[in-house]
Amino acid sequence: MASEGKPRILIGKPGLDGHDRGAKYVAHILRDAGFEVIYTGIRRTPEQIVEAAVQEDVAAIGLSLLSGAHNELFKRVLDLLKEKGASDIVVFGGGVIPEKDIPGLKAMGIVEVFTPGTSAKTIVETLERVLGSKAGQ
Amino acid sequence: MTFIGDHPQRLPELFEGMTHWPQARLVVGVTGAPGSGKSTVTDHMIAEYRQRFPQRRIGVIAVDPSSPFTGGAVLGDRVRMMRHATDPLVFIRSLASRGHLGGLTLGAKGVLRIMGLIGCDVVFIETVGVGQSEVEVAGVADLVMVVLAPGQGDSVQMLKAGLMEIGDLFVVNKADLPGAQTLHRNLLQSLSLDQGAEHDCQHAKSAGAGTAEDGPLISLRKKGLPDVFMAAANDHVGIDEIVDGLEAKVEGHSDQWRQRREDMLVDEIRESVLEEARRRLDQTLGNNGRAGDRLGQVLRGEMSVAQMAQELLERTAESKRNLK
Ligand SMILES: Nc1nc2c(ncn2[C@@H]2O[C@H](COP(=O)(O)OP(=O)(O)OP(=O)(O)O)[C@@H](O)[C@H]2O)c(=O)[nH]1
Ligand SMILES: [Mg+2]
Repeated sequence: MASEGKPRILIGKPGLDGHDRGAKYVAHILRDAGFEVIYTGIRRTPEQIVEAAVQEDVAAIGLSLLSGAHNELFKRVLDLLKEKGASDIVVFGGGVIPEKDIPGLKAMGIVEVFTPGTSAKTIVETLERVLGSKAGQ
Repeated sequence: MTFIGDHPQRLPELFEGMTHWPQARLVVGVTGAPGSGKSTVTDHMIAEYRQRFPQRRIGVIAVDPSSPFTGGAVLGDRVRMMRHATDPLVFIRSLASRGHLGGLTLGAKGVLRIMGLIGCDVVFIETVGVGQSEVEVAGVADLVMVVLAPGQGDSVQMLKAGLMEIGDLFVVNKADLPGAQTLHRNLLQSLSLDQGAEHDCQHAKSAGAGTAEDGPLISLRKKGLPDVFMAAANDHVGIDEIVDGLEAKVEGHSDQWRQRREDMLVDEIRESVLEEARRRLDQTLGNNGRAGDRLGQVLRGEMSVAQMAQELLERTAESKRNLK
């Protein structure tokens, strides 16, 4: 419906660690690619992230994780989205996530996982493709 | 709501047939220099309202700047308000300014409308902290709160640049930091000087020297003296008094506000008519913008420009509204 609007993306950082350099980096990459990014800060619960995403009417949620509890946290976010009837919101992840866990996360419904070292270009192109619209034209 | 953010002029379409528009009881614009603590103060005002009136719904519209180069934006005001994320009676919506001058994105008006519809009692609008061009927030808010903090060279300058006139309440935040007392004192001084200037102005007018019946300075000043508060928002210090101050202003002014909201409604209707007319005209003119060979008649001198405009106006009025 909002064809002229640039996709809005919420970046959330669940878990207990306090390092948000990665999350902020991704936020700025996406801004530079023309997305409107809602940054929500560190140590958020899945509940807070999902509520905020619904209120903000975003197209995607990016979860940044370092703490190792990624399997549970990702699942919780997906479950909450379903509960809220908001499964159309795309979820992607980033952070220190072991390669071996990525297929499982994708099977669960996470569209993509960006590990450290993924180029800005790849991140932007993947999201543009997934969200089905070019941002920033 | 994203639709309204993107197409604010088309708000009436979404509520076609609705004749009753609940509105927020109080709309507060929160403005001030970047980093002065607008989001933190807002976060604590939300907490204060929720505690005082547990049944009432609170709305927040938080506007951050869009990048002029890419059009993208990082909207970070919400970070300071995340503790309310799971409170079902707090609705927070972040918006990018999208290059709209004046610090208030065009779509903010539509979102404000929706916040009224969902039953928000108080709505806070945090605007881009650019200072100068932000007077626009005064047009949609019942009260404007200007947040200042020590250690920001531009604070006093910002006041000179027009925020002084639109501020109904001033908050000197970061009272825990050195310089807050001085800022407070300077602020009081400039406000009273300003007040003095107005006195002169009114005096001149009553002496027959004034020409404008309702000069901008005087009409703004009808609101009365602004309140000045000290706060250390991070620690919730002073927030209690600020909310008291807001509520005290509601009591005295609601009639005046109703008038202004009615004026705003008229403006909205006008905007929405113009927008609809523009859309229908584009449709009538078609893709190449020439309306078949009709325009050729003008070029060949068979029809005057005025006649053509009249005809297009009539055709536009007759054409069907085309809901997307
Ligand atoms: N010392 C002190 N710091 C404060 C206080 N209130 C806010 N801050 C800090 O000031 C910084 C900016 O606060 P924000 O609330 O984000 O300011 P803002 O005006 O909303 O900023 P922008 O939206 O970016 O313009 C944060 O680091 C806050 O923690 C206070 O009362 N005392
Ligand atoms: Mg802010």
